[in-house]
Amino acid sequence: MNTRRTNLAAGALAAALLYAASCSPSVRAQTPNANSATAPLFKDFVDEAGRTVHVPQPVRRIVSLSPSLTETIYALGLQDRLVGDTDYCDYPPAAQKKPKVGGAINPSIEQIVALRPDLVLVTKLNRLETVHALGNLGIPSYATDPHTVQEIVTSTERLADMLGAPEAGASVAAGLELHLADLRQRLSASIPRRVLFVVWADPLISVGKDTFIADALRLAGAASIVDSSQDWPQISLEEVVRLQPDYLVFAESHSETAKSDFDVLAERPGWRGLDAVRNRRYAVISDAVNRPAPRIVSAIEDLAKQLHPKAFSTRPEDEKNQKIPTTTQPQLSFRLMASIGGWSAVLEDCACAL
Amino acid sequence: MRPLTLSRLLAYCSVLAAILFVVVVIALKMGAVPVSLYGLGRDLLRVLFRQTSQLSSEYQLIIFDIRLPRILLGIFVGASLSVAGASFQALLRNPLADPYVLGVSSGAAVGAIVALIIEPHLALAPAVAALLTPIGAFLGAALTVTAVYFLGLRQGQIDSGTLLLAGIISASFLSAIIMFFMSTLTGGNYRGMAFWMMGDLSTPPQRVVSLILRFGFFLAAGAIYTTAGDLNLLLAGEKEAMHLGVDVRRVRLVVYLAASLLTGLAVSVSGAIGYVGLLVPHVMRLIFGSDHRVLLPTAAFGGAIVLVVADTLARTVISPSELPVGAMTAIAGAPLFLYLMRRRLA
Amino acid sequence: MSSYARTSSAARPLADAGDPNSDIRLSVEQVSYAYSANPSQAPLFTLEATSFQVRPGEIVAILGPNASGKSTLLKLIAGALEPLSGRVLLNGFVTHTLPHRTRGQRIAMVQQESPLLFPSRAWEFVLQGRHAYGRTLRFETADDILIARNALQQVGAEDLSDRWMDQISGGEKQRVILARALAQQPLLLLLDEPTLHLDIGAQVDLLETLRRLAAANRYTIVVVTHDLNLAGQYADQVAIFQKGKCLRVGPPSTVFQRELLEQVFQTPLTVELGSSGRPRVTVLSAK
Repeated sequence: MNTRRTNLAAGALAAALLYAASCSPSVRAQTPNANSATAPLFKDFVDEAGRTVHVPQPVRRIVSLSPSLTETIYALGLQDRLVGDTDYCDYPPAAQKKPKVGGAINPSIEQIVALRPDLVLVTKLNRLETVHALGNLGIPSYATDPHTVQEIVTSTERLADMLGAPEAGASVAAGLELHLADLRQRLSASIPRRVLFVVWADPLISVGKDTFIADALRLAGAASIVDSSQDWPQISLEEVVRLQPDYLVFAESHSETAKSDFDVLAERPGWRGLDAVRNRRYAVISDAVNRPAPRIVSAIEDLAKQLHPKAFSTRPEDEKNQKIPTTTQPQLSFRLMASIGGWSAVLEDCACAL
Repeated sequence: MRPLTLSRLLAYCSVLAAILFVVVVIALKMGAVPVSLYGLGRDLLRVLFRQTSQLSSEYQLIIFDIRLPRILLGIFVGASLSVAGASFQALLRNPLADPYVLGVSSGAAVGAIVALIIEPHLALAPAVAALLTPIGAFLGAALTVTAVYFLGLRQGQIDSGTLLLAGIISASFLSAIIMFFMSTLTGGNYRGMAFWMMGDLSTPPQRVVSLILRFGFFLAAGAIYTTAGDLNLLLAGEKEAMHLGVDVRRVRLVVYLAASLLTGLAVSVSGAIGYVGLLVPHVMRLIFGSDHRVLLPTAAFGGAIVLVVADTLARTVISPSELPVGAMTAIAGAPLFLYLMRRRLA
Repeated sequence: MSSYARTSSAARPLADAGDPNSDIRLSVEQVSYAYSANPSQAPLFTLEATSFQVRPGEIVAILGPNASGKSTLLKLIAGALEPLSGRVLLNGFVTHTLPHRTRGQRIAMVQQESPLLFPSRAWEFVLQGRHAYGRTLRFETADDILIARNALQQVGAEDLSDRWMDQISGGEKQRVILARALAQQPLLLLLDEPTLHLDIGAQVDLLETLRRLAAANRYTIVVVTHDLNLAGQYADQVAIFQKGKCLRVGPPSTVFQRELLEQVFQTPLTVELGSSGRPRVTVLSAK
């Protein structure tokens, strides 16, 4: 083969490849700002992950990547501004009709961009890469990360402030504070029950002490027997048998099968060692307790009623001799995720529920 | 006797390049937002000639800032993984070798987790913060490659058997570390790691990272290609290759470093996408033979095609959710391999 | 049996042994070697200083029982190992320090093949011998193809050209491997126990071919074998080794002495001189 010709061909090929490697057409770099006629105003906020977020004012189009934030938006009455949410945003039912962008961990960036949001709301359950990718495309993300129920309240208020609806935030916060104060008073004389909050039965997973769920339990007059700084600690059944909680607590979204599910659990080896299982002392509450949203307060109240029925038998400001029947076994059930094991599946499920 | 000629090689590459082009066009068309071929062509030309004032809507943004970078990422990652896979199969003289067998992906994952852990503690500008994970992953990969190299030396030279063992042990050890991290660390964004470890092209990397990936690909693949003839002989046996005039020591070092670079870059940007590095070289071998002068370029094209197809399926099949691309590569690659294998044996 | 006709008698008469005008091509000078698994330990194996010289067109057989250092010596000659002392010269160049490519053009080795990972065709295999002659990133030239074809012809394996390497018999494979060595157009041809897995007919074929090639192409051939009679019939010189020590070097008739061979091979035997002047060794049955 002619040496010079091969060298020339190789050189041309190399040059072509280098050009191909370096070119990456980007529209954003070339397109002038589409809204250049009216330059948007921006305000800086610091979100709960410590990042400074450059939020356009006013915020007209929001995409929520977390079911808890979707709920919060509805609670604040700002649902008209919500243009998209995840597949798992199911409360309130109206949220299911909003345009979907995929899961919390794997949303479709394309879909999000197609909805032209001004702001995307995220929690610690969403991936950092998603936040960065959206940032690269010029879409800011605001993160919430409450660790206690009080922080849920203030988080809601701050969110409302940022979205330019401080009155809605103040009123929702006030309502929640009132409710919580009432609960605190009713439970002031009650001894906290020792409980095990069962996230998953096999492997046995509960909640850590720094989570808002643990705080919610406290406010409901319960004390989680699990003392761990991990968010979702895996604990051994032996340890639980040693600690002998008074009650087991389950969170569930569907009603019907609570009793039969518990029966199945009670039959499993080792669980019969728990007094709570033998005496059928368990409480079931809505899975709202898993979501850091305003609805958690009603789940807290529900749990409090199940654990401390006497505290709710009379209303403190109503001294009439009326006995209000207490409900000990609410019409909620829990779903036992018995057959599917595995860590990541658990976390996925919890992520979806949140 | 029909030895390889340059014109035959170019013919094969042109056919594959044409297939890749068609696949790219189809991939650009498919997605959550509908696109017409005519509109696509028109916009591509506009972008090339820098007449972008005509483009105004987010729809164009989606094509050029999301879809096209994702497709290009798929091309370079797929090509890198296939070339690395073919190279390791030759270097280790083992048809079951894939780019991750020497622990590169596990090392990258550990690096990425460490980056995720320290990120909140450093006050970085968002642009830099986004780079932290790929940099961490690449450093993790580089350290692993170095460690495995020294573990794999025997009497001062790379020995295929020892290298393979050292790599497998390192990979297992690092995987255990990852599991430990993921189950004991508090808070943080670690559940996203599961997705990263299955391989994921869905988040477009920074411009800088993409450029490094592409240049790195050409550099490393080019270096390996200069040893293509030597690799043919190496496969016949290391002793024989030496007597036939191959500088075995130099070739092994070059291939090891270059293939590790390819793998490290690919994994740092997109996680550990499986099957591409293992299956594509075999498919290409069945079609084009084991001469590495043909195998390496065709594997590069083949990997690009397979990964773009798999990624397009992953993002459209259950839209708007996305499936992990690693599952799709197995679905796309394995049946094709089986079909070709049966044809060859028949 | 053989696929090509035998032209001359089975063994060349001993009378005309080498051209007195040719220079020495291969010179082994006081070459020794030691191998120890651990640098601090005593060597596991030693090859004591050995010397001999070979001319172009000559065949040297290296004989001895197992583990006597034959293969090690061959690797030292090939330049694959560095001698502890002494040197191996090929046309005046030290083989160990030759650049890889040059070595591939001068020295060809035929040895037990590693199993092929991805099988190739015989012509592809033979073309590998041309690798040392090309630049990086080159494709085979018409010359290369001609030489490869020629090599296959010389070993009588032309009809195997298109066959897959994993589908031919042991003897056929041996011939193709030899063809690859010939395609290197070497000065020195080294063979390590080439007759191990061949039947008697194939063994004789091979040695006949070597004899022919040595004469026609002026190769210097060094064969490691433990087959006394083949060595006696075909070699111009033999070297007897035992436990790493070279006991004697010289033409077979000189070296094949009964006492020496009995001592080395630890078995009773007799040595007779054949009609052509070459010795024949017969192993006697157990004592």
